[in-house]
Amino acid sequence: MDDHTTKVTRRRFLKASGVAAGATGTILGAGQLTGLKPLSEAHAAEAGGGQTIVNKSICGQCPARCGIDIYTTNGRVHAIYGNNDHPIANGKLCPKGHLGTYILYDPDRFKGPMKRTNPNKGRNEDPKFVPISWDEAFKTVADRLNALRDKGESHKFGLFFGRGWGASDVGVNIVPFGQLYGSPNAPIGHSSMCSDGSVLAKQCTDGNASYNSYDYRNANYLLIFGANFLEAFRPYNNNMQVWGYIRREKTPRTSVTYVDVHMNATAAAADRALLVKPGTDGALALAIAHVILTEGLWERSFVGDFSDGVNRFKTGESIDPSGFTEKWTHGLAQWWNTELKDRTPKWAEGITSIPADLIVKTAREFGTTRPAIALFERGAHNHSNGVLNGMAIHSLNALVGSLFAEGGLAYQMGPAYGPAPADPKDYMDDYAKNGPHKKMPRIDLQGHEDGYLMAKNMIQEVGTNHLAGKPYKLDTAMFYMTNPCFSTPKAKDWEEALKSMYVIATSPFPDETSMMADLILPDTTYMERWQDAPTYPFQGWPLAQIRTPAIKPLYDVKTFGDTLIGIGKLINGPTGEYFKKIESVENILRHLAKGFEANPGDNGVKDFETWKAKGCWYKKPYHWRQVRGEFFEWDGKGWNKPMTPDEVKAKLLKTATGRFEFVSSYMASKKDWVLKATGRDAAKYNMPHWEPPKYTGGGDLHFITPKTAMHAEGRSANIPQAIAQFQPAVGGNKQALAELHPSVAKAKGIRNGDRIRIKSDLGEILAIAKVTELTRPDTLVLPFEHGHWAGGRWSKGRGSHVDEITPQQSDRISGMANYYTGKVSVEKA
Amino acid sequence: MARWGMVIDLAKCTGCQACSTACQMENNRLPGENYQDVLYYTERAQPTPVLKWFPRPCMHCEEPSCMHVCPTKATFKTEDGVVLVDWNKCIGCKYCMIACPYGVRFYTDEKPTIEPNVKDVFPGTGDLSWNPPYKGPQQDNAHGVGIQPHGVVSKCTFCYHKISKAPKGTPDLSNDNPALREFVPACVRTCAPTARYFGDIDNPNSEVSRLISDRKGVRLLEHTGNKPQVYYLGESGAVPGFSRPDNKS
Amino acid sequence: MSIITHAPDQASISRISNLRLGVGIAGLIAGLAAGIGLLSGGHATFNTSSLLTWGLPVSTYVFFVLTSTGLTFVASLAMVFGMKDFYPIAKRCVWGAVVTLIIGFISLGLEIGNPLRMLWVIPTNMAVSSPMWWMGLFYLTYAILLVWKFHLINQGDWDSSQSRIIGIASFVAVIFAHATLGSVFGMMSMRPFWYGPMVPVYFLITAFLSGLAFIMLFINLDYGVNHANMSEGAARAMSRQLPAIFGVVLGLVIVFTLAKTMTGLWSNVPENKIVTQYIASSALFQFELWIGMVLPFIMMLSSKRHEATTQVVAGGLVIVALFIGRYEYVVGGQLIPMFKGAWADDLIAYAPSITEIGIIILAISVGILLYALGDKKLNLSDSPRK
Repeated sequence: MDDHTTKVTRRRFLKASGVAAGATGTILGAGQLTGLKPLSEAHAAEAGGGQTIVNKSICGQCPARCGIDIYTTNGRVHAIYGNNDHPIANGKLCPKGHLGTYILYDPDRFKGPMKRTNPNKGRNEDPKFVPISWDEAFKTVADRLNALRDKGESHKFGLFFGRGWGASDVGVNIVPFGQLYGSPNAPIGHSSMCSDGSVLAKQCTDGNASYNSYDYRNANYLLIFGANFLEAFRPYNNNMQVWGYIRREKTPRTSVTYVDVHMNATAAAADRALLVKPGTDGALALAIAHVILTEGLWERSFVGDFSDGVNRFKTGESIDPSGFTEKWTHGLAQWWNTELKDRTPKWAEGITSIPADLIVKTAREFGTTRPAIALFERGAHNHSNGVLNGMAIHSLNALVGSLFAEGGLAYQMGPAYGPAPADPKDYMDDYAKNGPHKKMPRIDLQGHEDGYLMAKNMIQEVGTNHLAGKPYKLDTAMFYMTNPCFSTPKAKDWEEALKSMYVIATSPFPDETSMMADLILPDTTYMERWQDAPTYPFQGWPLAQIRTPAIKPLYDVKTFGDTLIGIGKLINGPTGEYFKKIESVENILRHLAKGFEANPGDNGVKDFETWKAKGCWYKKPYHWRQVRGEFFEWDGKGWNKPMTPDEVKAKLLKTATGRFEFVSSYMASKKDWVLKATGRDAAKYNMPHWEPPKYTGGGDLHFITPKTAMHAEGRSANIPQAIAQFQPAVGGNKQALAELHPSVAKAKGIRNGDRIRIKSDLGEILAIAKVTELTRPDTLVLPFEHGHWAGGRWSKGRGSHVDEITPQQSDRISGMANYYTGKVSVEKA
Repeated sequence: MARWGMVIDLAKCTGCQACSTACQMENNRLPGENYQDVLYYTERAQPTPVLKWFPRPCMHCEEPSCMHVCPTKATFKTEDGVVLVDWNKCIGCKYCMIACPYGVRFYTDEKPTIEPNVKDVFPGTGDLSWNPPYKGPQQDNAHGVGIQPHGVVSKCTFCYHKISKAPKGTPDLSNDNPALREFVPACVRTCAPTARYFGDIDNPNSEVSRLISDRKGVRLLEHTGNKPQVYYLGESGAVPGFSRPDNKS
Repeated sequence: MSIITHAPDQASISRISNLRLGVGIAGLIAGLAAGIGLLSGGHATFNTSSLLTWGLPVSTYVFFVLTSTGLTFVASLAMVFGMKDFYPIAKRCVWGAVVTLIIGFISLGLEIGNPLRMLWVIPTNMAVSSPMWWMGLFYLTYAILLVWKFHLINQGDWDSSQSRIIGIASFVAVIFAHATLGSVFGMMSMRPFWYGPMVPVYFLITAFLSGLAFIMLFINLDYGVNHANMSEGAARAMSRQLPAIFGVVLGLVIVFTLAKTMTGLWSNVPENKIVTQYIASSALFQFELWIGMVLPFIMMLSSKRHEATTQVVAGGLVIVALFIGRYEYVVGGQLIPMFKGAWADDLIAYAPSITEIGIIILAISVGILLYALGDKKLNLSDSPRK
């Protein structure tokens, strides 16, 4: 890389950091931080004043979106703490949150827009970037996009984004761009490498294509499958707050059983750790359901009962469906007769390696302790059988009546936003409405019979499809907060594909995508920008946060939203008009905030200014609640308004039957495709059932690549502090270590600290071995994050790139990338 | 005069290391130079291994052996019970690092944990051994606050630049009280599960005193006689003895 | 009055003296080169860290200041306890004590962060609870008395009452000095490998052995490895009393070493057991014990102990063994990480860096030069004229 992209001279830095802080913060009271020593010489050159400004914003290192207080003194951002008045943060932060200042002052940041002058692309090619103006940058992109549109090839433009953090946020700005310009590939999200397995499992059972909100504080039992509650599950910060409460302060103390494939912080902190064989969580859940039914522990007010009240669920015996009357569920008898009656704990022991007596104990506890929550994420569903595993686990919630109950789980309400400055519908020209792009499938074959009919996105397949020209090749690709040539399985396909696309990178940092880019339009970091963020599913009631700049951008960089608007303004036809009307991200936020006038938040936020001052708008409570099998709606004072079955179907249980479906009508609606794509048994394809996972990779050890608590959404690889605390359980403080069981180490002659070679069908990577009892003897654990070949001085060349040898396999239903399905072999290097 | 102390409830602690990073950024620590560290220990074997962890600030002992061994009185105990290093007096003999049973002290000039060395990336001038762009405004060499000069030993100060400005007579410094937030040590302020409490352990009405009493607070390595002012609550309040890993390198 | 029985082999004596000068200068240059590393990279060029704080420079300091102690003990045999046979080597011993003290202080001075600051913060703060403060006080007192004593005998004042009192005082001072140095380690109850009231005694005996070994090596070298080149008294001391004393003290040190090793291996305390296992299984320790101590002991039991060549070999081996012993002792007390959890879950790996070794070379070279200069200019073979 050229010098000017990486080197920041001291003079340039001081110039940049010496600018006055943003004007949005509040100045601390004079009494609060008095008596500070005068700054030493080194700081004397900077703008003075000594006042500390505290700015309300939101963290940008994970989707949890914690409210933060950013402390700026003399133009230096020097501390970040949780915002006390923010319902997720409550004044607290996770370990990553504090390191945000490091992201702001990362010495490897891009300093301004640039274009590539070396036409050759590759890991060892210097892009030879040269600085350009923003005007030239916008014009370059717009000319290219206009030319594609003129040729009727606008579908060859793809806009890929990650983490739900769009221009202001997803849905406001990115989607109209694709609609108006005319590309099915703008945008393509990253959800299929995130957690779509969970979304589909819920869509297939209770009809909500979403993650859940959880009422942990009122739950008395948590049964967690492969969602590392205390290291990686969102909202991490709030999860830990919850943990401190439910495990110590709450009476009765909440019990926790945790299912995962290796010993980690959550497993260790739980009352019981079940270290399950990878990909078999579904079998465990089925056996738990079996016990709940045979022992009569299901919630009759929600599920229903035998008409005579006598439990006929006996292992191996079918029941007469007409003898069981269901209330809010659908298909229990069919599920039992077809699948569940033989799914005994003994059977599950053989699949999962969990002793049958522990399965029975867990099932009895879960079945007798109300309210109880069964929750799962990637560990359980990043497999070929992922949606089936997810459906089985989620069905446990139905069996104990936790859906929409106090201490159970529900879904998330959206904020009371005002309308955006312009409605895209008013700016659709004929091309946008009827252009050739309308007939084009998406590049990832999402929603296509040849691809993944039921998936939400298939970002991991784009590189492979592009290389094959199937369905076509992209011409231009723009990336925002996603780096698929590093982070998808079989990442090298994406990397290869980028060589034959015009690549527009918007990362503030020189990541892998940027190194393959033709144009660099560097984004601001999250402390330098305006942005809004409705909450990810949290506690159900609506919450909208605002990010305000604590400091003017250090360099000549632009918030991605404003970049997109800047490009949009130059697109021919009404698209340009639309974006002129939109104007800027800040303008969008001012319009959104108008919605609060009619719906002031619980914290008094009623317009843009108060939103800015408080950092968030929220309005409790969640409007619906199921109480012992009856649904009620909030009437302003309490959950007093009984709901009819039709209302429940419209608002809560959004399935064809208006009930929780053990036998999925949504999946049935795609029956032919599902049977063809999966080869599943027509008798049980649409109910939670056991299907052995298809392991890939060809080795003898399961290759598990978890997220650690220090994984700051891809950026911690270049944060020295995060590297030094990356893997505390096994002492990984220089790079991620490969955790091996002593029996494996002994068999292969590997000792602690040895360099090892990890091989799959796709190739091999080198790693450092850590011999530990934390890992199962059939498993190798190597956290992802390191192994970058770009990104910055600390990330480049550090550790092992796990996705290089993670095979490309996706769940046929959800399209979820099967990150944990690969098997590898290991040897001493 | 208050005698500041800390209570750490291991039943609540999730081992997340936010205390460590909050401290790092508040006090401008080098990567790996954790005034506040979280220590993990693995014992026993699959399928029933034990993983436990242990957050470790400076214990600010009643009888600090580091202070007793210091040949220049650079390490001293304040009236309000905090053990600090006066960087103007420290000669860098490192005897205190030898004498501290809890391993909480660091010498300025050590090999970096992480290369490239942040000290080279953000070089300091004059009294500052380095100068990161996010350096906090506080710098008080006489109390060992801020970025240390070359050739001295540094340690956790209980965020002395914050707690020393707390109103006199305050029994507890907690994030829950908006008026006191800015006086709470960084690790305590950010602790998501509220596993940390900070207050006057001589004041019977303080939360810390009550917790020590109700939940049977214990102190580490009592046999050394250092009498820490940091108390631990919870079942896993013991640090495993040293044994070499089965598979030695 | 000294009677020279043979014509001294001046050629071989001056060859050794010049060789020593050359080695000193070469070492100085090498040491300064490494010192430049210290200047540019600071103590970050050391391999010590907050895991293992004191390394080779500190163990070298301990080795040399205890050697100085031992040399003073030997000098005191004549000057305090009136064993007149030792007079002919007494001046050499005192000069050697000065030189080894300087080596120790250079090594320490380059190890600590702000050595110059010591000059004012140590006297102005009176940190009387610190063993190190007392160690500094007594070593400073000892250094002053030692130089004073050398000044007096260099002027020919061997046994005026003032000179005798200074001699006694320096002997007493160094007893306290070495004891407080022992306490610097022995008082550390949090480090069981070091802890114990016997440490000052252990230091006393090993210091004495160290002084004796230096005499066995260097005084023999000074006289061309030939007792015939010495005065009669010196030759008698070197061939009769010294080997006997050396043998006895060496025997005691072997007992001490074995006792400490056996205790360590038997103990359950990890800081003793695991560290002792680790050290005892190292080649360095085996060399130290068998080649560096047992072999010289056997040599001292044989009739060859009277011969200069045997003494040079035995003295040299014991010096190496003691140097290893100091290193093992200083480092051994820190091998087990203190409260580092998984960040450091095995014994700490430490090997001195080039800079650390360079500092040692520098300090020793200065010592060799000073000794060589003393040998040339200060008439070190002088003794009281009766």
